[in-house]
Amino acid sequence: MTTIALFGNPNTGKTTLFNRLTDSYAYMGNWSGVTVEKKVGAIKDSDITVVDLPGIYSLNPLTKDEAVATNYLLSEPQELFLNVVNAAQLKRNLLLSIELLEFGKPMIIALNMIDSLAQLGIRYNLDVLEKAFHCQVTTTNARGNKGVNALKDQLLQDDHGMTGDTDFKLVYPAAVQQAAEQAVRGLCRDNDYDERFAYWLAIQFMNANAAVIHYAKEHQLTALLNQLPYYQAQKFEEKIYQTRLTFIENTLQAAREQAASPRVRNLTAKIDRVVTNPILGLPIFALVFLLMFKLTFDWVGTPISDILDGWLSGPISSTANHLLTQAGAMPFLRSLIVDGVIAGVGGVLVFLPQIFMLFACISVLEDSGYMARAALVLDKIMSKVGLNGKAFIPLIIGFGCNVPGIMAARTIEQPKERLITTLISPYMSCSARLPIYSLFVAAFFNKNQAVIVLSLYFLGIVVALLLAKIYQIVFKSEDKSFFMIELPDYHLPQPAIIWHGTWDKGKGFIHKAGTIIFAGTVVIWLLSYFGPTGAVANVNQSFSAIIGRTLLPIFHSFGVTSWEAVSAILTGIMAKEVISSTLMVLYHTANRTLLVASLSQLFTPLAAYSFLVFVLLYIPCFATIGVIHAETGTWKWPIYSVISSFFIALLLATLFYQGGLLLGL
Amino acid sequence: MSILINLIIAAVIIAFAGWQIVKLAKRSKHGKCAACDYKCEAKKMMVEAEKRPH
Repeated sequence: MTTIALFGNPNTGKTTLFNRLTDSYAYMGNWSGVTVEKKVGAIKDSDITVVDLPGIYSLNPLTKDEAVATNYLLSEPQELFLNVVNAAQLKRNLLLSIELLEFGKPMIIALNMIDSLAQLGIRYNLDVLEKAFHCQVTTTNARGNKGVNALKDQLLQDDHGMTGDTDFKLVYPAAVQQAAEQAVRGLCRDNDYDERFAYWLAIQFMNANAAVIHYAKEHQLTALLNQLPYYQAQKFEEKIYQTRLTFIENTLQAAREQAASPRVRNLTAKIDRVVTNPILGLPIFALVFLLMFKLTFDWVGTPISDILDGWLSGPISSTANHLLTQAGAMPFLRSLIVDGVIAGVGGVLVFLPQIFMLFACISVLEDSGYMARAALVLDKIMSKVGLNGKAFIPLIIGFGCNVPGIMAARTIEQPKERLITTLISPYMSCSARLPIYSLFVAAFFNKNQAVIVLSLYFLGIVVALLLAKIYQIVFKSEDKSFFMIELPDYHLPQPAIIWHGTWDKGKGFIHKAGTIIFAGTVVIWLLSYFGPTGAVANVNQSFSAIIGRTLLPIFHSFGVTSWEAVSAILTGIMAKEVISSTLMVLYHTANRTLLVASLSQLFTPLAAYSFLVFVLLYIPCFATIGVIHAETGTWKWPIYSVISSFFIALLLATLFYQGGLLLGL
Repeated sequence: MSILINLIIAAVIIAFAGWQIVKLAKRSKHGKCAACDYKCEAKKMMVEAEKRPH
């Protein structure tokens, strides 16, 4: 088995190339911070394994996910490096390449996004680059699938021999060189290291690589540790950086050729002048989101969903009921299957068109390059609450599902800032809340569906940012993470990437329907079918009614008068989609029109909006609570998150309701 | 359909639901990807990588 390790700066198209090479699909976005754990894939019909590591600017880890790459180098075997570099950003990208080449493994440098380089009117002589870096250099455009097959052939050819020069050695200033050689002698003598690895360790150690210093302490590499004060006093870190940079500049100058027809990035620059404008940026961001919800709720998603609902509540339910009766199923089994499973699970599945539409919109925004600009626009607001644009990335991933959103917070290097982002992420309106929004906006705000949903999304962002400010003051978080995001050229989204992105995000919803939504539906059916005296004919005497009525006074403050809504809130903690399925089961209907009619008798529009505010903000689902525990390493924060979010939801929903009443709404 | 078959089908449905809840609670305790129901490619690859000997 041959292992190829995929390294590169963030947003160089590494994940796209990984997917092309391995004939598989991993979540990708046209912005940095997408790969948070290493991913492993295999090249089809070969014994080659490709490991995709998180994007890094250097081997010196600044963040948790950057450490994944360095620790991988130190602890796991690999036969070949594939270094993906952004052809248009070579000066900065090649800094990492030098660090990798010094490790001594055979390496192929893939100049990716070669089309962008051509648009800049620049071309590099690959022979010059190959000679300078002592490794193979190839060009690819992973998005357009150009050069990928040639690269794959190259990898397959080199499968067993893994040929390639490994003798790259940058000449550092004499003092660095001497100190490195001395350290190598010590390491080879005391620790029996291979000379090449010892040299790499020494240079990384002098370069103040935190992961390597940790490694040296762990393995008691005295040859290095004893010299640490000397290295620091001599400012070796700076000297190493300068040497590398000069080498890259000279090499690029020698390799650079002017392309025949230079084309500037006119269009991208023109669009950016408008969308990242300090005044226009934010309204444009809001407009883009409004358009997204218009497509989801008004124009495409809901109409298709209505057709599905018609089938489910009509032919599917009645046929199932008819077949079950014919087969001799008893009333309780018929009720379990038709009023429970079909109404509950089916009732949520009919929202698939909205969910897929929303995910398709998010994928288009990611692939077109707009999302990176959105992070830049938000950075200005984020910095006012002590966060930066980097925190926007976990938050926007949270729009899909809060769990990967919280995991993406690892890209933030300051622990306090990371904790703040983790704690505010659950307030982002995840896609699981869409079914209940959809149900309520159809019942109460038929003409303004998109605007109402947009207001909820923005309310989630505002609450999250306000809390971030409060946490920042309480935690006394003063250190600032730096925010650097590449602004990729705009391009027309590719249907294949959009479809993959949409399917990847959306299929989880289908999977959930068969697992936890199904389970939640059965639980609520049992609670509504049985009461203290056994099976009940009237749902008002069931366990769910008793529990709902007992807790109802807590929710009176924001206009909830039905115990059914309280039961839905409770089961929603399992997974937010279960809120809708609970209502379907409790009203014994798979028909959304009937449910909408029932709801409009129980809520006023103001109470309905306040209920949605509560649903947006209250206790995170089980999976989110679990991930907060895993990421913070303690139960303190998930418990805090559960309690605080409940009270914040209650407070804000009450404020909206009571405020609305005062205004005469 | 006899009463027994009715009961068996209902029991299977309820048992499956119960098992899903237990599974969710267990996975949530582990946190990270395990807690998430979204079986994305990245997650599948991570699971496979864990199974594969180094």
